[in-house]
Amino acid sequence: MKHVAPGGSAQFENTLKVSVWRSDTDGYQTFLVPQQDSQTVLDIVTWIQQNDDPTLSYRFACRVGMCGSCAMMVNGEPRWTCRTHVSKVTQNGGLEIAPLRNLPVIKDLVVDMDPFFDKWVAAEGVFEPSLTRNDPIEVADPTTVQRQQADAAIECINCAVCYAACDSVAADPDYLGPAALNRAWSLVNDVRDAGGGPRLDAISGAGGCQNCHSMGSCAQYCPNDLNPTASIAGLKWETAKSWMKQGWLKW
Amino acid sequence: MQLERHDTDILILGSGGAGLFAALHAQRMAPEGTKVTLAVKGLIGKSGCTRMVQGGYNVALGKGDSVERHFMDTINGGKWLPNQDMAWKLCKLAVERIQELENEVGCFFDRNPDGTVHQKAFAGQTFDRTVHKGDLTGIEIISRLMEQVLKRPVEKLQEHRAIGLIPTRDGSALSGVLFIDMRSGGFRFVRAKAVLMATGGGPTMYKYHTPSGDKTMDGLAMALRAGLPLRDMEMVQFHPTGLLAGEGTRMTGTVLEEGLRGAGGHLLNGAGNRFMFDYADKGERATRDVVSRGIYDEMRKSNASPNGGVYISMAHLGPDFVAEKFNGMVKRCADCGFDLAGGRVEVVPTAHYFMGGVVVDADTRTAMEGLYVAGEDAGGAHGSNRLGGNGVANSTVYGGVAGDVMARDVAQVNGLREPNKDVLDGEIARAMHPLSRKPGPIQNLRTQLQDAMWDEVGVMRTAHGLKRGLDRIALVEDELMETGLASGNLAFNLTWHDWLNMRSLVDISQVITHAAIARKNSRGAHYREDFPDSGAMEDSAYTVAQMGKTGLEVSQLPVEFSIVRPGETLLGDDEPETLVEAAE
Repeated sequence: MKHVAPGGSAQFENTLKVSVWRSDTDGYQTFLVPQQDSQTVLDIVTWIQQNDDPTLSYRFACRVGMCGSCAMMVNGEPRWTCRTHVSKVTQNGGLEIAPLRNLPVIKDLVVDMDPFFDKWVAAEGVFEPSLTRNDPIEVADPTTVQRQQADAAIECINCAVCYAACDSVAADPDYLGPAALNRAWSLVNDVRDAGGGPRLDAISGAGGCQNCHSMGSCAQYCPNDLNPTASIAGLKWETAKSWMKQGWLKW
Repeated sequence: MQLERHDTDILILGSGGAGLFAALHAQRMAPEGTKVTLAVKGLIGKSGCTRMVQGGYNVALGKGDSVERHFMDTINGGKWLPNQDMAWKLCKLAVERIQELENEVGCFFDRNPDGTVHQKAFAGQTFDRTVHKGDLTGIEIISRLMEQVLKRPVEKLQEHRAIGLIPTRDGSALSGVLFIDMRSGGFRFVRAKAVLMATGGGPTMYKYHTPSGDKTMDGLAMALRAGLPLRDMEMVQFHPTGLLAGEGTRMTGTVLEEGLRGAGGHLLNGAGNRFMFDYADKGERATRDVVSRGIYDEMRKSNASPNGGVYISMAHLGPDFVAEKFNGMVKRCADCGFDLAGGRVEVVPTAHYFMGGVVVDADTRTAMEGLYVAGEDAGGAHGSNRLGGNGVANSTVYGGVAGDVMARDVAQVNGLREPNKDVLDGEIARAMHPLSRKPGPIQNLRTQLQDAMWDEVGVMRTAHGLKRGLDRIALVEDELMETGLASGNLAFNLTWHDWLNMRSLVDISQVITHAAIARKNSRGAHYREDFPDSGAMEDSAYTVAQMGKTGLEVSQLPVEFSIVRPGETLLGDDEPETLVEAAE
C-alpha cells in the first residue's frame, strides 16, 4: 500500500497560537499547534490533548455535525467544532477556545448539558401520542401549512449553540431558551400530537416565550439554519390567541 | 482506589436505538416499582451510531411488499449466513416498530404527495422499502426517542464507561457491571437483575472508519473476557466512500453517502480516469463490497490520489443539481474545505459496520443468565453482510424486544446477585494498569493498530497477511502494556480513556483476525484473495470465537436453515424476483 504524507511537509511550517480555557487555573492556557490544510477546531483541541497536554478535557462523538456534542465558544462565538475549518475562524494567527456559554462547566471545555435538556422536557418538547403501535401510519398531506411549519423546525440536533448564543438565557437562567421552544413550536404544528394543553401552559408560563426579545442570535448561529426566533414568535401568537379565547369565554 | 456501589433492577448500557428502545419498553412493561437505569459512555442520545443513520429504515409497508420479501432480501444479502429466526423477527417486528416510531414516539417521516409514507430505494433490495426523514433519519429517530426517555422516570448514568461484566461467584449468572464514572474518574459497581448490553460494535480499529468516536468495541471486549461466544467476528463491512482528508483530522473516514454513486457520481483514480468498469459491470453502482474492493485494488496499483485514495466526482451532473439533491453532504464538505458539488473530493473505503457480535437468541438472551445483548453488539441477524437500512431496524426492533423480555424476566428474579470479588478486583486492576506505567504517546499506538488492521485484515485478506496482522497487533499490545499516563487527575481524563479504548480494540482486533484466518472462503464482507470462492451455500458455516482455558478458540458451526434452505424462497411462484425498476 502506498502511503503519501498528507499535503507534503510544508503544512507544518505554520503554527497557530491557541488559547484554551482551563478549569484548574480558571483562565486561558496558550498552546502552539502545527497548522494543516485539513483541520477543524476539534482537530486542534485533539492535537493538544494527544501531543501536548494529555489532561485537556473536551467532548465529541460523531465528528460530522450530527450528534451536537462538541460545541464550544470559538473566538467568543458558539460553534460546532467538528465542522468549523480552522482557516475560517483564525484571527491574527490565533484562536481562543472556551466551553459553551450559559451551561455549567464540568472540566475545561466540557459542559453539563442537563439544564438544557431539563428545559427541553419542561417546555413539553416531547411528543404526546394519539395513536398506538398497533395502528397503521396515517396519511399526512405533506403540503399543509402546519406540516411544513412543523418540518421547518424539526431538524434540530440539540447542540445548544443557540442556547449559548442567547442573551435572554444569560440574563434569566430560568428562561427555557430557543431550542426547547423551537421544539415546542414544531409540536404545536404536529397534528398527530395530543399534548397541546400542558404545552401551552409551559410555553406561556414564567420561563416561556415572552422572555424572548427577538434579538435573533439563535437564528444567526444555528449551524442547521433553523430559525428559533420565528418559532418563538409563532408561540407568542398561539399564546395570545389562547388568551383571547379564554377572555372571550369568561366574558 | 475507591469503589462506589449502586443497585438497580434493569440496567441498560448504551443510548443508541437499542438502548433507548429498551429503556422505553422496560419502563412500560416491568412490574410497578421496577427501577430502570440507563448508562452511557457519552451523553444520552448523543453517543453511538443510530444518530448517524443517513439512509433510513427498512420495513415491509408498501403495497406489494411483504415480510417474506424483506426476509429473503436479508438472507440473500447476508449470503445465507444469518440466523434465520433473528432475521425473520427483525423483518416481522419492523412493521410494528415503525408504527410505534411514528405513532407513539412521534417521528416525522417523509411522505409521498398522496400522504403515504415515502420509501426509497436502497442497494441489494427487491422493493423500495426504506422509510426515511430526508438524509438525516437517525437524528430524527434518536432525538424523538431521547425526549421520550428523558421525560420518564429512568435513572441516568451519563459519561459512565462500562469496563467489566461481573459474574456471580459460581459464574452461573451476571451480578452487575463495573463502570468508570468519567466525570469523577472513580469506579462504580452497579448490580442489576437484568443487564442489556447495547454499546454498539463499531470497527474503529481500522485506519479509515465511519463510526462515532466513542465507539471502541468495549462491549464485545467485555463479553469476550466474560467467556461469552462471539459469532461472525471476521465480518467487517466497508463503505466504499469515506472522506479522505489526510492524517491528523477526525474528518478522515467519515462517510460520504451511498446515494452519490447511485445518482451517477464517478469514481476517478489518481490519473483522473474512471476505473470501476474494470471491476464490475455496474461500475460505480455495484454493491458496497464490490466497489470497496475495486477502489482498494486501484490504490494498490499505485493509481492513488495525493492522500492515497481515489476521487469522487459529481460535477458532470451539474453543480447546482448536486448542491440541491445532496445539500447536507455538500454543506458538510464545504464546511471542511471541500467542493463536492463542483470539484473532486478524495475518498477511500472505510470500516463502517460490524456484523459480528455476541451469540444471542431471538429474545436477546445470551449464554449468561441476566445478560441480554441487542443492536450492533449482537451477532447473527445480518450474517456476512448488512443491507443498508437494516441497521436501525435491527437496533430498534431488538432493543424493544430486550426491554420487554427483561421486564418479564426480572419479575422472576428474587434478588440482586453478589459479585465474584476476584473478578471485580481484577477488572479494576486491569483499568488501573496504565496509571503505574511511564507516560507515553498512546495515539501513536492507535495509529499502528489501525495501519495493521487496514493493511492486513482489511478489504482483501490472505493467510499470509492475516498472520502478519497478528504479529503486528501483538507488538502494539506489548507496547501498550508498557505505556501509561500520569495519574494525578483522573476526572474526565480522555488520555486514560484513550488507553482503555486501545485495550478493547486490541482484544477485538485479535478476534477479528483469528476468525478471518478460520474462514477459508469469501462471503459478503469477508474476502480472501487466496480463497475467492464463496463455498457451497448448503454447507454454510459461521465462526464462533470464545475465550477458552488456553486462549482464544475459533470453531465453525453449520448454519441452521430453520426457515428456508438455499435454492428455496418464501416468495410465491407468481411473485417476481424483484419489484425494483432496473437503474438506467
